[in-house]
Amino acid sequence: MDKIQLESLTEEQISFQLILHSGNARSKIIQSLREYRNGKVEEADELISQAEADLSIAHDIHFQMVQKEASGEKTSFSLLLMHSEDHLMSTLTMKELVKEVLAIFKSKDSK
Amino acid sequence: MKNILLACSSGMSTSLLVTKMEQHAKSIGDEVRIWAVGQDQAKKEMAQADVVLIGPQMSFLKGELQKEADAYGIKVDVIDMMAYGMADGKKAYEQALSLIGEK
Repeated sequence: MDKIQLESLTEEQISFQLILHSGNARSKIIQSLREYRNGKVEEADELISQAEADLSIAHDIHFQMVQKEASGEKTSFSLLLMHSEDHLMSTLTMKELVKEVLAIFKSKDSK
Repeated sequence: MKNILLACSSGMSTSLLVTKMEQHAKSIGDEVRIWAVGQDQAKKEMAQADVVLIGPQMSFLKGELQKEADAYGIKVDVIDMMAYGMADGKKAYEQALSLIGEK
């Protein structure tokens, strides 16, 4: 997917983009655990890689927002924006944890 | 009267989409009921719906929700990525209509 430029979006759309890409990642992370549970290790790994790609899109949008604020341009606050931040951060945590969990499963299952 | 149920993890983002979809439906003279709920409520509320649209953050629940929705003969689908990402009420509304059409 092409890099998203903040200038072309409204503030509301920026929040929706964050939720969309974090949300896609979230679904893939959970699906990854389900695949592993069904013995499909490669599929599980593939879903985690895809989730990381989704998260990097969300992260890039977020990074542009941080840059914008650092350069003195204020982003106006809304509950929706806070909610979208929540989505991004909780999904990042989830991804780190699930990666660790899969690594533990793999080492136990290979014994 | 069409009944469109939107669901996402907390019902927040889809609530906004509801307003935009309603505005579009009104502008073309359609009579609709569109409402949003969090993911836990979705199963309870779908009995009153003609179609269920879910947010991308719960697309992993699509299969499970569709199983429930089969009892009512309605479809469950993930909101189109472009429609969701741009908070495009018109596009989401058209997606809902086409899903109801397939019923």
